[in-house]
Amino acid sequence: MTILNRRGASKEARDELQNTSKSARAVAYVALTTFVLLTIFPIWFMIRTALSTTRSLPSDPLSLAPVDFTLGALNRVLGLASSAEAIAEGGSGQSLNFFQYFANSAISTTGATISQVFFSAAAAYAFGVLRWRGRDAIFFVFLFALTVPGIFLVLPNYLLARELGLLNTLAGVMLPHMLMAPFAVFFLRQVFLGTNMSIVEAAIIDGANHVRIFFQIVVPLASAQVMTVFVLQYIAIWNDYLWPFYIGAGAEESKTLTVALGVFRSQTPQGSPDWAGLMAGSLIAALPMLLLMILFGRKIVGSIQNSGVKG
Amino acid sequence: MPISKKSRLAGLAGIAVMPLFLSACASGTTDSTESAGSGEAASGVVLEYGLWDSNQLPAYQECAAAFTAETGIGVNIEQIGWDDYWAKVRNGFITGDGYDVFTSHLAFYPEFVSNGQVLAIDSFVNADGFDVNQYHPGLADLWTNPAGERFGLPKDFDTIALFANEDMLTAAGLTTADISNLTWNPADGGTYEDVIARLTVDTNGVRGDEPGFDKNSVDVYGIWMEGSGGGDGQTQWSFLAAANGWSANEGPWSNTYNYDDPRLHETIDWWYSLVEKGYMPSLDIQQGVGWADQLIAGKTAMASNGSWMTGYIFSQGNENFTPTLVPTPIGPTGERASMYNGLADNIFAGTDHPNEAWQWVKYMGTTDCQDVVASYAVVFPAIPSSTEKAVAAMGDLGINVDPFYVHIENGTTFLFPIADKKSQVSELLSPAMDNIMAGNAPASSLSSVNEQVLALFN
Amino acid sequence: MSQKAAALRQRKRRKTDFAPALLFMFPAILGLSIFVLAPGLRGVYLSFTEYNVFQDPKFIGLDNYERALQDPLVWNALWVTLQYVAINIGFQTVFALILAVLMHRFTRSVLIRGVLLVPFLISNVIVALVWYWLLDFNLGYVNALIDLISLDRMPFFGEDTAMPTIAMINVWRHLGYTALLIFAGLQTIPKDVYEAAQVDGAGEIRTFFGITLPLLRPVMAFILVLTVTGSFQIFETIAVTTGGGPINVTRTFSILITERAWNSYQFGYASAISILLMLILITVAIVQMRLLRGNESDLSR
Repeated sequence: MTILNRRGASKEARDELQNTSKSARAVAYVALTTFVLLTIFPIWFMIRTALSTTRSLPSDPLSLAPVDFTLGALNRVLGLASSAEAIAEGGSGQSLNFFQYFANSAISTTGATISQVFFSAAAAYAFGVLRWRGRDAIFFVFLFALTVPGIFLVLPNYLLARELGLLNTLAGVMLPHMLMAPFAVFFLRQVFLGTNMSIVEAAIIDGANHVRIFFQIVVPLASAQVMTVFVLQYIAIWNDYLWPFYIGAGAEESKTLTVALGVFRSQTPQGSPDWAGLMAGSLIAALPMLLLMILFGRKIVGSIQNSGVKG
Repeated sequence: MPISKKSRLAGLAGIAVMPLFLSACASGTTDSTESAGSGEAASGVVLEYGLWDSNQLPAYQECAAAFTAETGIGVNIEQIGWDDYWAKVRNGFITGDGYDVFTSHLAFYPEFVSNGQVLAIDSFVNADGFDVNQYHPGLADLWTNPAGERFGLPKDFDTIALFANEDMLTAAGLTTADISNLTWNPADGGTYEDVIARLTVDTNGVRGDEPGFDKNSVDVYGIWMEGSGGGDGQTQWSFLAAANGWSANEGPWSNTYNYDDPRLHETIDWWYSLVEKGYMPSLDIQQGVGWADQLIAGKTAMASNGSWMTGYIFSQGNENFTPTLVPTPIGPTGERASMYNGLADNIFAGTDHPNEAWQWVKYMGTTDCQDVVASYAVVFPAIPSSTEKAVAAMGDLGINVDPFYVHIENGTTFLFPIADKKSQVSELLSPAMDNIMAGNAPASSLSSVNEQVLALFN
Repeated sequence: MSQKAAALRQRKRRKTDFAPALLFMFPAILGLSIFVLAPGLRGVYLSFTEYNVFQDPKFIGLDNYERALQDPLVWNALWVTLQYVAINIGFQTVFALILAVLMHRFTRSVLIRGVLLVPFLISNVIVALVWYWLLDFNLGYVNALIDLISLDRMPFFGEDTAMPTIAMINVWRHLGYTALLIFAGLQTIPKDVYEAAQVDGAGEIRTFFGITLPLLRPVMAFILVLTVTGSFQIFETIAVTTGGGPINVTRTFSILITERAWNSYQFGYASAISILLMLILITVAIVQMRLLRGNESDLSR
């Protein structure tokens, strides 16, 4: 537990920690450890199951180590195993077109998120930095959009996509996300509201137009928060199930990984999913997000505090 | 040390681009095994075909390969599990972009017909002079509507039997032969209940028919409950209700349902009593991992289910589980009963390739394909000569399928209820049946549900 | 210089930035209109029709609404959704608060914060499946453990416990994320407030209830509005586990709407139920903002 203190703790922080009573600290550490263990355990369970043989799983439910260690699940998921091998271990003969789905997810999520965050930031700039009549009223409409249930929009959007011929296309999967997200607009507006306006005004005096101010001043100042929104939205769009299922599950070119894994679970005999394969696939599916977290994590985790989430 | 912004952006770009490289590299190896028979077909047409049973996938892959070799028409097979299969099929109707041909089911096809979503094949049948009488009696008619239009060719059929763990029978002093002539009635359960009780063992090793049996602490159940069965109870209770003289409706396409019939009520009440006595798991307990796993893992001695599961169950034998089959019990009617379900393939009405689709459907309806399916010993094909081959193939695997076949021989089958608006009927009946099997209401509560069902058709 | 100054004063007196604002918000407004407002209006229209996608919509006035208000399953959906929201938000908020304070006061580790976020990276569908397996009555890890310590096994997805279980599964997934949002809010509370409290001799708990919590109110308001709205729409977790059952105990609004629309092609009726849900969400949001007075900050007092 002492490792926690040394890591990243400043002198002030350590002083503050010493101000608390011993018993309080003990309770706190127990609580923290419990939370962390409860968080990690299912993830360890996923890893352990991914490295097990599906067939053997019911025989040893309490095992913390892989049951009948095998890389078979990984093979099945990545399409490297033959039908016969797959069935022998308890999987389905149907292969998972993993790389295709991964690519679909990567392309659609990255494209949609970049575009969405960009346009949402622009809108947030209009609502948070610029001043014009009706600004708050129009923003209120965005707020309202937050309360519209997603399921309510799926039906008409589905019909719209069908009419535009966008069903079973990656474009159809991406489109509703590409122009804005109410959450992103809301969050970034909060951030921009806290911008130091004197810098902006100085720039205006120097003759800069708003586009330059946006790109060269306001956004860079809030880069950590923009990054945060980017990562959060990336995760949300990558993991989205409902919309991509109805729009894209019908074709290989438009099926996202999340949907494919959801469908994969029901591939095998009569309701008994290929657990090892499923866990292997899910872990790999979570990798890009993990990478994002590692690359940008410090900034995000430390930066949400500066979003000015004061209300 | 903080990572520089540039390298972070590079990292991001890397994530996005990486799968493109991977998919380019892997495109050679990930020629998905789902597309057996596709590839550069001479005619250039590739049909999209769907099925849900992973056990049958290899058989149809072989059929498709042979079909393509013979006709030059490619077949792209996709297998999706039952849970998601119908969503995919229905979605395909809406998008107009789904399967050209798909394995269909008696429960759903009437709706497809009334919505105009599937193609009638009469013109094809007549033009080709196809013999629709080559199947087991009654199967072909299942796929015609009251107007006489035909929508599919029978490809296989299934019946219900009891899967049991022979090791547990032996431990209870029984053999498969001993329990192959069980009798049942709703009043005291007959010898059927006796055997179930005998096979139930509590955590102290006391059997269900011995004094001191603790029904609250059961280790092995005599028989498993695979959900409440909804309105059909195909594998759960239909064979009991029918052996009690009940039928769900008044024949194919009838909208007159009989859920208010007391013969059904007493059957369900008896079935629920097994839970109260501790011989069968409660609705709560059976929720989750499926019956097959429970049987294989030794949590239950028996489970009633369909012939389509034979191949799988018999492939999972282990030191504690020796699979065996027993026919359903004889009921008050003096006969056994089993639901008789025949599958066929439907052609999507909006397909771009109706002629090719018919070729594939026809192929699957002939011995060319059905013999192949027979050799995989998974289901019973609909053509009698192919059925015999399947029975023999299963015999080669050490499986005696008499318990399934006896119903064909003795004519003790009854049809899967064929009617329109099945999904809406299900929406009413499934929660009601769940409710009964949860012990919240008696089976007579089905009468009021029956009225709601009848109201759907007014 | 004076010319420039005059021009400056003119520009400063420009009352509105409307022109650039239009440019900046145009794409977002476009997106909002096409994918939220227009479909919303279409959905409203559909709610007054009978529509099965294969034939044209047939106008039937308020019939769908009448039917919905009399449909026991709609009221059931309200009841079970409320149950879910109450348990989910209740536990999530309380645990997240505790966790945030723990992180704030007792550790500076970024690793821990990162670890707590990992569940959020995994999709709802997978999280649900993993827990479905872990909590299985016969073959799940948790019940095997319970068995080991000689307690009675628990049917986590049974009639009485399915909803709470689903709620807690979602708490597991979102806890770290919510805790981080609150944690961020905690950073905005000035340190001198705490120092003053310490000088007065306040212990941890008194400080928490007397100072931290009240000062967190605007943050909590924001978080609660977000999480409650999302909570009402719970779908994926249930769809891949209990699917609405056993009986109807997990048949929430989203599940019911999906079933009516995609299983029995009753798009019109499904739209009507969705509108009812939206009205509920709007009401709840308004009530929340009022009750929590999220616009004010206690710091200003």
